[in-house]
Amino acid sequence: MKKIICTLFLGLMLSAPAFSQAKKPVIMVQPSDAWCERNGCVTTYDDMGKKVPMPDYQAAMKNEDMRAVISTMADFMAENGFPLKSLEQELKKIQTGSAELSVLTSKDSGAQISESPLDRLRRTAKPDIILDMDFTVRRNGPNKQVSFNLTAVDAYTSTIISGNVGTGSTANAPMNVLLTEAVLSFKDNFLKGLQNHFDDMFANGREVTVALYRFDSSPVDFETEFDYNGQEAELSEIIDLWFSENAVQGRYGSPEKTENMMKFTQVRIPLFKEGLNGKPRAIDAAGFANDLVRFLKKEPYNLVVKSVPKGLGEVWLVIGEK
Amino acid sequence: MTLAVLMASAVLYGKKNERKESFKSWENYEITTLKVGTPGTKYVKVWAFAKKEDDAIMQAKKNAVHACIFRGLPANTAEGANATPALVRDNSILENNLEYFEKFFAPGGDWLAYINVTSDGGKPSGPDKLKVKGGYKIALRVQVMYDNLKKKLEDDGIIRSLNSGF
Repeated sequence: MKKIICTLFLGLMLSAPAFSQAKKPVIMVQPSDAWCERNGCVTTYDDMGKKVPMPDYQAAMKNEDMRAVISTMADFMAENGFPLKSLEQELKKIQTGSAELSVLTSKDSGAQISESPLDRLRRTAKPDIILDMDFTVRRNGPNKQVSFNLTAVDAYTSTIISGNVGTGSTANAPMNVLLTEAVLSFKDNFLKGLQNHFDDMFANGREVTVALYRFDSSPVDFETEFDYNGQEAELSEIIDLWFSENAVQGRYGSPEKTENMMKFTQVRIPLFKEGLNGKPRAIDAAGFANDLVRFLKKEPYNLVVKSVPKGLGEVWLVIGEK
Repeated sequence: MTLAVLMASAVLYGKKNERKESFKSWENYEITTLKVGTPGTKYVKVWAFAKKEDDAIMQAKKNAVHACIFRGLPANTAEGANATPALVRDNSILENNLEYFEKFFAPGGDWLAYINVTSDGGKPSGPDKLKVKGGYKIALRVQVMYDNLKKKLEDDGIIRSLNSGF
């Protein structure tokens, strides 16, 4: 009997994607900070009088070797159904997008595009999985040898999905041949790491971060007490309980909490849920958090909550106002 | 009648177990990665044992494909080649697809399509051909069309592709 129930459950789980496909993560190769520093692709910004160095990706994308590596990786990722998002093109798009938006006006009144500071901040290259690429070339007479370090990182949870370190053969060959060889050498291990990550996601749900904040205008904070089934409990405790009931298998990390914020990390959310039209649909962190927004809107909390999606795996909820 | 059905089931169960065991015991061979292959391929040196030299050569080619599917390939740090994971990572996949793999590895089966260049044009000689008790142990350099093999197993629903479910 137990076997039949298990089979039926598995069948049901597998049939979900037949109705709807899980949201596909955006993957992008990014030169590592260490590579940028070693190759002089660094810019500085002024942080209250202190010069802080930061990677200059635009300069990094002009480096011939980095372009060869990214191009080889893009090739095999596309073959595996995951075309990489180009960091170079994305940076260009952001630049031209900003310029176009600033001159766009309406035909009749000449009204300009309304854009909040948050909107402007959001127009940045935002991958779901970052492939942090580092490599060095050692020279020994006419011979060269490439050492590489590629780490795939979940952008929302900072979890390392796949790590690959290795050293290529020593040869007197053109640089792009050695770099291609290095990429091909770690390709299958790297793909296996990604596959394990996706298998885990399909089996146990997507891992996301949900952060809750409050506008300073809100009379309610996370230590305000409410009635919960005849007992007085702090709002933070009630929200914690909501996560234990709604996360897949009740799995999530211990939350950070103060009177003004709560942060839930490693929250396992289902990939699909019933949409407003009653049909199953793929969801992300914001889709999952919508149920919490509805819960907090009800009696006795009556809270107005603003939802700010930060990508597939992160959402901010701000209580007090929209 | 019931007895006949029970006996038939027992025979079938026995055969299935026998097949499973034959695949499981197919682990007794040596393989090393020679270098990083050209895109989509693996370049390996693989050993096989058989009574006749020609059978050992054929078995070596089969072993190379078997290793890519079930064992994975070891790294060769001197040549800058990382280890390659097995395409089938879960034992249950073999158990649930015994018939598929039996047909795949049958003489003249699909596995042949994934062997490209081998060193048997000139037959193995010297340290690559050892006369041992009961036959020959030979070594062959083989290029396996790894990406094509992976695609075949994905298309046949044996393993999941990276983008399945998305």
